[in-house]
Amino acid sequence: MSAFESLDLQQRMLLTFEAEEFLYREAGLLDERRLDEWLALCTDDIHYWMPIRRTMNVKDLDSEFTKPGAMAYFDDDKRTLGLRIQRLAVGRAWAEDPPSRTRHTVSNVRILRADANEILVALNFHLYRTRLDSEEDSWIGRREDLLRRENGALKLARRHIYLDQTVILSQNMSNLF
Amino acid sequence: MAATMIATDRIPWYDADSGVLDRRIFSDPEIYRQELQRIFARAWNFVCHESQLPQSGSFFMNYIGEDQVIAVRDRTGAINVLLNSCSHRGNSVCRAEQGRTNSFLCSYHGWNYDLDGRLVAIPGQEAFYRNDVDKAKWGLGKAAQVASYRGFVFATLDPTAPPLEDYLGWVGRLGIDMIASNGDLEVVDGVQKNRLKCNWKLAVDNLYDWYHVKISHGSALRIGYAPEEAMAPLSQMVILGEYGHGIGGPGVTQAELDEYATRSKSGVGEPKWYDMMAARRLDPRVQQMLGPVGARSFGHPNIFPNLWITQFNQICLRVPRGPYETELWWFTLMPKDLPEDQRRFAIYMANHTFGPAGLLEQDDGENWSHSTRGAKGAVTQRLPLNYAMGRGHDRVQADPSGQSRIETVVNEHGQRWTYRSWQEWMQADSWQELMAHHSPAPSGVV
Repeated sequence: MSAFESLDLQQRMLLTFEAEEFLYREAGLLDERRLDEWLALCTDDIHYWMPIRRTMNVKDLDSEFTKPGAMAYFDDDKRTLGLRIQRLAVGRAWAEDPPSRTRHTVSNVRILRADANEILVALNFHLYRTRLDSEEDSWIGRREDLLRRENGALKLARRHIYLDQTVILSQNMSNLF
Repeated sequence: MAATMIATDRIPWYDADSGVLDRRIFSDPEIYRQELQRIFARAWNFVCHESQLPQSGSFFMNYIGEDQVIAVRDRTGAINVLLNSCSHRGNSVCRAEQGRTNSFLCSYHGWNYDLDGRLVAIPGQEAFYRNDVDKAKWGLGKAAQVASYRGFVFATLDPTAPPLEDYLGWVGRLGIDMIASNGDLEVVDGVQKNRLKCNWKLAVDNLYDWYHVKISHGSALRIGYAPEEAMAPLSQMVILGEYGHGIGGPGVTQAELDEYATRSKSGVGEPKWYDMMAARRLDPRVQQMLGPVGARSFGHPNIFPNLWITQFNQICLRVPRGPYETELWWFTLMPKDLPEDQRRFAIYMANHTFGPAGLLEQDDGENWSHSTRGAKGAVTQRLPLNYAMGRGHDRVQADPSGQSRIETVVNEHGQRWTYRSWQEWMQADSWQELMAHHSPAPSGVV
């Protein structure tokens, strides 16, 4: 992958537009609970991962996040993402019945690297959730998404989610980020 | 004496004769305040696993009730459990959840404490204090006793508490043996923590609850994440021990254990959920560790008050954070020599089953938060709760090994034992009183 900065302005604009268009579309699918369509935007080898973050002193910051292969909040492949989605359709998925209401916002989209096949994007996200009459959750953080071209269309090949909370201040994380 | 009055004026909160519980124990702030004194400040509490403190200076922050404590390995290799509060103004001397340090330097005025809690430096000792301060008297507060059982480190803030092994009794020790028999354990990096709006006891009593699984976790069952035999096993075994420890959940006969183990080893026949676990249970070393009855239990131990040990390789601490809030802290423990493929699979299961995004646990929190809310309404809170399932229909069976147990169907013996014991803890004014007046493990009809 080449450094994004080495591309000319027009190339950067096109890539950024393309990435943002993809990200907004899939965020919309999540909010609209069109989860099967969302899953279809994932590559078969997707890695969907949210490590555990800890409050650490500055000198221990290299272990602020757990590493791949250790414990995580999400460490999913396409099959287990499918299980999460299937769960909601079979009944008795009480965390989402009645459904919670979510709003995915992405911003500060920065392309880190890009080549003909892949775009690596860093972004800030805010997932806001309300539930029942007065439950309110807010998750803010940084994501690194790897977008890959398959048959001419972008797909999500990797989503690494770095939450700004250490203790998760919610009763669950029953929604996708 | 006010403290006693609060705990006893409405007793019995739990009526052992009827299995009826007063739901105000889940919402009354004064009861919660008393629990911090009478249960958490008195009990042996799990603080960490030894593997989390690999070196001198390694520390892990935890809570005993709402007292924040630092478990830290000192230069002699000993584990200290220190109260995280400077002797000068009370400020925290450690802000990180875990890590490594040479000392605990207070960020307010720089009082500096060694890894064993001794105060070693005071800025201005000569110029400002005129050397009129005795550092030996002003170290950090420390747990009264710290002890480890099979690598699991516990601490009590009460100097009159009995030794850890006596406190655990054979049931608490068996509970830990059940996970320790997996091998030479170490904590996998990453403790999942999340906060629920529920009273801590509702999270505790759920660990004995094999009634809710098919309903609360119905979606996980329906998508085949875990089979019916794992989610809703009909044959149950309950083992109850003094001070409130217990083990409740699936229990199998010796014949079933043999059958599962044989199938696991031969690979012949349709595999069942407990096959691999059964095979391990027939290992003579494990048999020796667990005893003839313990080896047949696949239940959930609770180390009173709040440490759940799962069937496989995790433990969950139910950390009280006020009368209406509880944090769940998940620790995952694997044998150090586990082959890489098995380790990967075990971590996969741990990451997908429990924790806030777990396919099972997602659905638990709201039940407990709404049960807590159901203990708050002015009139609602007066309505009794039914904890009477199976009461009077089962019998404690003795065993030549001394491992008494109840073998039955899905039941609420574990929950009833928890609240009966809880009430005795709340009534006692001291360890001496608790030791003299607590119920022995039940016998006969229960």
